[in-house]
Amino acid sequence: MRRLTPEQLNARNKRSIAIAGVLVAFVVLVFAVTVLNLKRNIDARKDAIAAGQPVGYAQ
Amino acid sequence: MWCETDRGKRPRAPMRPGFRPYRPRPGPRVKPEGDGDRMRLMARTESAPAISTAQPGDFFQLLKPRVMSLVIFTAVTGLVVAGGDIDWISATIAILCIAVGAGAAGALNMALEGETDALMRRTRGRPVAAGRVNKNDAMTFGVVLSIFSVMLLGMTTNWLAGGLLLLTIVYYAGFYTLLLKRRTPQNIVIGGAAGAFPPVIGWAAATGHAPWQAWLLFLIIFLWTPPHSWALALYSAGDYAKAGIPMMPVARGARSTRLQILLYTLVFVPMAIAPGLTGLGGPIYLGVSILGGLGFLGLAIRLWRSRAGDQPDKAEAVGREAALYDVRAEAKPARNLFAFSILYLTALFAALLVERLTTLTGP
Repeated sequence: MRRLTPEQLNARNKRSIAIAGVLVAFVVLVFAVTVLNLKRNIDARKDAIAAGQPVGYAQ
Repeated sequence: MWCETDRGKRPRAPMRPGFRPYRPRPGPRVKPEGDGDRMRLMARTESAPAISTAQPGDFFQLLKPRVMSLVIFTAVTGLVVAGGDIDWISATIAILCIAVGAGAAGALNMALEGETDALMRRTRGRPVAAGRVNKNDAMTFGVVLSIFSVMLLGMTTNWLAGGLLLLTIVYYAGFYTLLLKRRTPQNIVIGGAAGAFPPVIGWAAATGHAPWQAWLLFLIIFLWTPPHSWALALYSAGDYAKAGIPMMPVARGARSTRLQILLYTLVFVPMAIAPGLTGLGGPIYLGVSILGGLGFLGLAIRLWRSRAGDQPDKAEAVGREAALYDVRAEAKPARNLFAFSILYLTALFAALLVERLTTLTGP
């Protein structure tokens, strides 16, 4: 097995932490976008019902 | 082997006439005789450790943060001026996606241009050129960020904005970097479109449309790019010649470049004033664009009448790292126009932004 130098280990640890941070941020972003899209669609449905338009499924 | 003494002896790359741009060829690499910098880069690539020592900061540098800041600024302006009903969370995510998409294009550019960047003083400190980041790692980084930024922008706002961001990335990394840059002195003119897209993407993200007002902002940046880039190229032409990039001063000479800068300025300044006359900008914008435009024109005329670029740039003459602002006395008109062009473009978009924000927060 290849032994890493302290410099390589240090750099790899830093990269791993950075990747973890970016992944967490990405998960939060996707969650926020999903919630936003849900809210938009619920609002659009409410508007459609208020305007007497068919919404395509049980009201 | 490359040694320090080779640097002084290496013949200059051929200038016009008969300038032959360097084009990398696929297949096994052959060490050219006496091409010290290229050999040094190759040696570094061959002896690179299998385990990378690249830091997260090196990957951040791949995103070209300085370019990204201008992209963010112009995209925010497009998004705010558009006046759509986008909520602030979506707007923030949209701007983040545009910034990351632009950064991804920069990473792809650096991955593809590592060898050329290593030959130029201005760019040889970049992560791939300096050997800190592997070319394939940079390429993967750019592709992954491109996919995620386009997808997230499309899901958050609309697919017109996502499509325009994808177009920008492909245009810059594919069309400009791979095809245009080494083939024509008009590279920066056509390639400048890539830098002009962000306000249109911002506008599309806010409204789902890209009307003519958005394309007016596009045209301002598009026409601003040649005078801006050529002013810089006038006092770093030696680097471009060494790297085999046919920038205008290398391929057509300094005199022709100074004239073309003036001609582009004559088209650019009226275009910069146009938003003030079409209702897109208000009195503040009109004032800034006219006053700044006159300054821009004055500096372009002074540059046209100067001898900037006729002599090798100072950094090349004294054999040190290139500096953006420390140049020969004859090249100062070029430096002044380069610096003022950044100020003028920033002022134009800031004026639009301030006027729009004042309207939104006003009574």
